[in-house]
Amino acid sequence: MDEVLRFANSTPVWIFASIVVAIVIFQALIFIRIASQTAPNIGMTKDETKRALRTGFISSLGPSFGIAVVIISLIAVLGGPFTLMRIGIIGSAATELTAAGIGANAYGVELNSPDFGLKAFTTVVWTMCLGGTGWLIFTALATKSLGKVEKKIVSKNAKMMTIVSTAAMLGAFAYLASQQMVKGYSETVAAIAAGVSMMVILTFAKKREIRWLQEWALGISLVIALTISYLTTLI
Amino acid sequence: MSVPTKAGVTEAKIEVRQTTMSMQGFHGKSDFWGQTTLWMLIVMSFVPPIYFSFILGYHPGWGAIAGGLIGYAAFIGIMWFLEPITYYPVLGKSGTYIAFLTGNIANMCLPCSAAAQESIGAEPGTKKAEVAGTLGIAVASLTNIVIIIAVVLSGSFILTIIPQSVQNALQFILPAIYGGVLGQFALKKPLYGLVAFVIGMAVLFAPIFSLIKIVLCVAITIAVVLFIEKSKSGAPE
Repeated sequence: MDEVLRFANSTPVWIFASIVVAIVIFQALIFIRIASQTAPNIGMTKDETKRALRTGFISSLGPSFGIAVVIISLIAVLGGPFTLMRIGIIGSAATELTAAGIGANAYGVELNSPDFGLKAFTTVVWTMCLGGTGWLIFTALATKSLGKVEKKIVSKNAKMMTIVSTAAMLGAFAYLASQQMVKGYSETVAAIAAGVSMMVILTFAKKREIRWLQEWALGISLVIALTISYLTTLI
Repeated sequence: MSVPTKAGVTEAKIEVRQTTMSMQGFHGKSDFWGQTTLWMLIVMSFVPPIYFSFILGYHPGWGAIAGGLIGYAAFIGIMWFLEPITYYPVLGKSGTYIAFLTGNIANMCLPCSAAAQESIGAEPGTKKAEVAGTLGIAVASLTNIVIIIAVVLSGSFILTIIPQSVQNALQFILPAIYGGVLGQFALKKPLYGLVAFVIGMAVLFAPIFSLIKIVLCVAITIAVVLFIEKSKSGAPE
């Protein structure tokens, strides 16, 4: 196991991880650039562009720290650079841990067992790295065509896209929230507290026209929900 | 809110060289850069396994590798196709490229996209929503990678300076995120929010293959909402 981690944390692997990270950062920057250039043409003011960017930043802090906490379990198994590589791109901690387990089993050992050697680790690397490309390949190939389908729907009925988008969002998050809520009392409290505070904050912000509050809405709701649900665990 | 009209067609003919870009140009550039970055990452995904197998010489045999990949595909392979299709109507083209490269779609990309749209009052599915959502997701992707780098490089030191109670509270981040986004949309369409939630619970407890449940829930919600809209016909809101 020590030998595995020595190789997993070696310089070449750090270099691979840096390239992956560089691609992620490069992509984010280029999309910020082209979206900002498009904004004025579709009637978005400079102020609105800045507000969208700021809201994205504020809203991502909670989720990012949530992701960071789960990372620790992966570093112990995969070492630093692979964790960086796998979590930095498509793949959640849960998916990657399961993938690691599947890879190890395919070689005939358990993760973290004394028999988990470099060949087993190599199997895990193949499984994680190539398994994750499934989404990447499909997205790279199909997104353009999905756009054409969307365009057809829009050209038929412009209002329809708004309805479909909203319904899709509601459907996805209703399912995800339900799935979390049945996990336990505190989870239910967290979901309801966040939902209610979001509605209260947004209503208040719109009535009084407080723009910064709209930007902070998700962030504040998360803090309120986390606080309340944490308190329920202390009772 | 910008209403898509016939003007969109003429926009296509405008040359894009200046500092501004038409929506058509935006989609073209999104396809180009989205595909380029994705293929770069796909190629990069082959490097570590090949390095371990053939440069370091720890090749475990193709049998084991195939076993691992088949196991992976059996476990979650269907999501390779279903997730991009399911989330496309919400993420839009550019959002899809970013979200599927950076990951953490439901717990980060979608909420940040929705929050960015809300902050400037853009209706989902409009051009403005797509651009605002792209900005939101791209910044989220950037923030996320910076925080992950900081945690990995500091050997989790950053997490040790966050009080234990805060870390304990963070275990409830997922229900909080999902509940918050649901609240945001339910505020706009309370009826649909309720409909979606009932469908969500019903699908959750239905005896169906669990991986396709979310897809099913999205599809049913879209169908029911469209049906309600149609029966209301004349006054769609």
